[in-house]
Amino acid sequence: MKKLEDWLTWALSPSISAILVTLIFSLTLPILIHTYLYKRAVAKELPTFLLLGPSGAGKTSLLTLLANGTPSPTHTSQAPQTAICQLPSTTRSSEDKYRSENDTSSRSQPSIQLLDTPGHGKLRHHAISSLTFPTALKGLLFVVDSAVLSSAAGLTETAEFLYDVLLLLQKRHTQGKTSKTPLAIPVLLVANKQDVFTSLPAGLVKSKLEEELGKVRQTRSKGLLDSGIGMDDDGEADEESSWLGEYGANGFKFAQMREHGVDLEVVGTSTSGEGEGEGEGRGHECWSWIGANV
Amino acid sequence: MLDGFEILTTSGIVLWRRHYTPISSSLIDSLVRDVFIEEKQKPGGGENGAPSYKKDRYTLRWTSAKDVGLVFVAVYQSLLHLSWIESLLTAVKGLFIKAYGQELKAAHTLKVNTAQWDPTFDALVNRLDTGSTRRQSDTIDSEGPTELTPPSSSAGDDADEPPPVPAPLFRKPAIPIKRDDLVGDSTSTDATPIPTPDTSRPATPGHAPSHLLTAKGGPGKASRRSRKAQTFNASAPASSGDESSPGHNLKGGAKTAAKGKRRWDVDGMAIEGDDDGVLDYSAPATPGPDSTERELDVAEVNTSQMGSRTGKGQFVLKDLDDEVDAILASSSKPQQRSNATDDTTGSGLLASASSRLTSLFRNVVGGKTLTKADLQLPLQQMQTHLLSKNVAPEAANRLCQAVETDLLDQKTANYTSIESTIRDSMTKALTRMLTPTSSLDLLREVTSITSGQGAPARPYVISIVGVNGVGKSTNLSKIAFFLLQNHFRVLVVAGDTFRSGAVEQLRVHVRNLSALSQREGVGKVELFEKGYGKDAATVARDAVAFATNKGAQPPGGSGQMLYDVVLIDTAGRRHNDSRLMSSLTKFGQLANPDKVFMVGEALVGTDSVAQARNFAKEFVDTKGKLRNNGVGMDGFIISKCDTVGDMVGTLVSMVHATGIPVVFLGVGQHYGDLRGLNVGWAVDKLMK
Repeated sequence: MKKLEDWLTWALSPSISAILVTLIFSLTLPILIHTYLYKRAVAKELPTFLLLGPSGAGKTSLLTLLANGTPSPTHTSQAPQTAICQLPSTTRSSEDKYRSENDTSSRSQPSIQLLDTPGHGKLRHHAISSLTFPTALKGLLFVVDSAVLSSAAGLTETAEFLYDVLLLLQKRHTQGKTSKTPLAIPVLLVANKQDVFTSLPAGLVKSKLEEELGKVRQTRSKGLLDSGIGMDDDGEADEESSWLGEYGANGFKFAQMREHGVDLEVVGTSTSGEGEGEGEGRGHECWSWIGANV
Repeated sequence: MLDGFEILTTSGIVLWRRHYTPISSSLIDSLVRDVFIEEKQKPGGGENGAPSYKKDRYTLRWTSAKDVGLVFVAVYQSLLHLSWIESLLTAVKGLFIKAYGQELKAAHTLKVNTAQWDPTFDALVNRLDTGSTRRQSDTIDSEGPTELTPPSSSAGDDADEPPPVPAPLFRKPAIPIKRDDLVGDSTSTDATPIPTPDTSRPATPGHAPSHLLTAKGGPGKASRRSRKAQTFNASAPASSGDESSPGHNLKGGAKTAAKGKRRWDVDGMAIEGDDDGVLDYSAPATPGPDSTERELDVAEVNTSQMGSRTGKGQFVLKDLDDEVDAILASSSKPQQRSNATDDTTGSGLLASASSRLTSLFRNVVGGKTLTKADLQLPLQQMQTHLLSKNVAPEAANRLCQAVETDLLDQKTANYTSIESTIRDSMTKALTRMLTPTSSLDLLREVTSITSGQGAPARPYVISIVGVNGVGKSTNLSKIAFFLLQNHFRVLVVAGDTFRSGAVEQLRVHVRNLSALSQREGVGKVELFEKGYGKDAATVARDAVAFATNKGAQPPGGSGQMLYDVVLIDTAGRRHNDSRLMSSLTKFGQLANPDKVFMVGEALVGTDSVAQARNFAKEFVDTKGKLRNNGVGMDGFIISKCDTVGDMVGTLVSMVHATGIPVVFLGVGQHYGDLRGLNVGWAVDKLMK
């Protein structure tokens, strides 16, 4: 007890040593707390790119190609899969936009996370939930099977899924609850399986899908009301909000989505064909788009 | 004979595959789709937990490992009956997870290095494959059972060849007979070519101290037989493999005492008097000064780890086969193990109270690993809840089973109780069951058929079936109203030729609808009827022909079709009345509808399951195959949903029974009261 009293007396007295101790303590304690807190919070989220598309398009195959360099054989996916990979050295990322080509300083390529989701109708909720609760989602790769688009059934299925996805993005953009609009997510339409004989080239894929999306939005607007019509409080019965693209326009074009912040590009690729050229490996079209949008 | 074996992850990546004959990848795709995703096959079928799936003349058996997310699939022709496939699947699962389990549990693993797996798999197949269905292996089998003496040891004068090679060539015919005894035996065969200690095979002098043989074979070309006789007579009996046994010592010493060293020159004459030459090239018999170092180099070996002693006193090494046996034995008695772990570790009042407190705590805070006992009571409550929502007991049972298999041995997330975990899992299971594989867009389909893309234009035929009094005619007129609003020309066919007043009822509906459509200037609707007592199938066929209008050539107009959509009403019938149900088959074949919708009322209880099943199996085409990819019908219309409030369990029962999706809901008795199904809404109502 006596020792405690003595110590307290010393601590509250105006002696030099007490002042010094207090000074040191008060200066170092915040620094220690800061390093402790910020060391824990270092886990930064990697930019994520979501792979989605109808079943059989080649999403899982594309994932293995981008992550490993060579595609593995795959079957229908039942569960989503993530993979972390680094941009290949030949791709320029958006950080290096203003660097000269001859710049020889070493730079480490950014790493990204790829999220592959199942394409089967019953399991599309994985893809949709990743869209509605995005965590650092930087872009979307919508993979389609170019060969199956020449048949009516395949075209319909692809167009309906694409319609759902684009409508979701549009609603996210136009109906934000705050005045700050959420970040726009660019979309890359990957026309896969270009090596198959009956596949359509990328330009034709784009125009066919535009035409089909126009038809789909026509029938969806005239279709039956949903049974869950009283559920949402936002008053979803507004016709304009569920019309994709430009309201009242005749045909649908992907350029109409640009005003809603959805930038759509189309590339053709093939995961199982031979690589083109020595300088670029397979999947380089995807890499260049990913690099530009990281 | 196995056609193929694949190991794939739940995300679809093939980690390893072995195809003995080319197999198309669509086989396993359809297995995943039909069994795992769409759940068309009831789980638990098949013997010993390796369920089977048949497609295209192939049979696929599989097993899955939920914790690492792997599926193991074996493919073979349906004509064969391979009884060893279950044990192969179990053994492969055990060994693969043991070898690669750690790698797979780490996140983001897309592939594993499976270079060492190939020989393991080959050895496994060779071991488990029995008798006539065995595939001839390419490599020479260098293993052999210890009981079989290599025939070449007694026969064969080929002194130049070292003993082991000719032996397997003679062993092959004996194997199929002996194998069956050996599979269950604990004496293992030497599957891997590791150098065995000399004394493990005392009965096979050919394999006896090999180093002795090679050394002595050089200078002195004595015949093999005499050499063998020497070593056989002089070698020590089975002991602990000590190279420096006294027997060898004696042998060496005795020889030098009894005989002078004999050497031969090229002419075949004996060279005398060279006692200093060393002729014995064997390892030093006496423990020399350097042998202690060698003893020290030998690490401490745990003999029980390396192998075991058989009943005959032989020390046989543990290897692949033992591991396989252990896995197979453990898989066949899982019940005893799980029962044993149920015993509480602590005893006494304090221990049980503290364990209950911790379990309560864990229940609230989360992080608890779920066992069967934990899940039992909450799942029971969940099942009662579903039954109170008018879900059939069979469907509720299946959903609870699915949730249980999903959640067993999983950890709850932070700050979630068991109940909320079960709720989440049940919501997911319900969503998955109710979500259709491809949603129906009726307007698009009608437009594409009637505008004639790819096929000549023809009317779109829809027929409505169901038991008595569910609301077929009412819902048919609702669909007609919807189609009329979209500017189609509709023909309503009175296919109910039995019930009094059925035709008049439809006439009233058509009159109302045409008045409504004329007022708004959309579409055209007409009634096609042939009175009472006729056969419904012929009425339907005539109606479709009338709508198509192929034959008629009215003046001034080409043979264009008169109507876009044909809606056929049928008589209500009890699903257990076989005579009436069989007439549906003929109806389906003659009318050939594009869509067959069955109406079920939301008020029906357990009967819905039987109704759905009986109606679905009636719609077969002329070849005997169920239409619409083997399910029979195209969709359900659940009527009278406004009368039940929250208790919409009939949706679940009917989808569970057949796998056919629900396309429309009837929510009232006016023409506009038709809605599509919103899965989130339905699941919400069920879980409320």
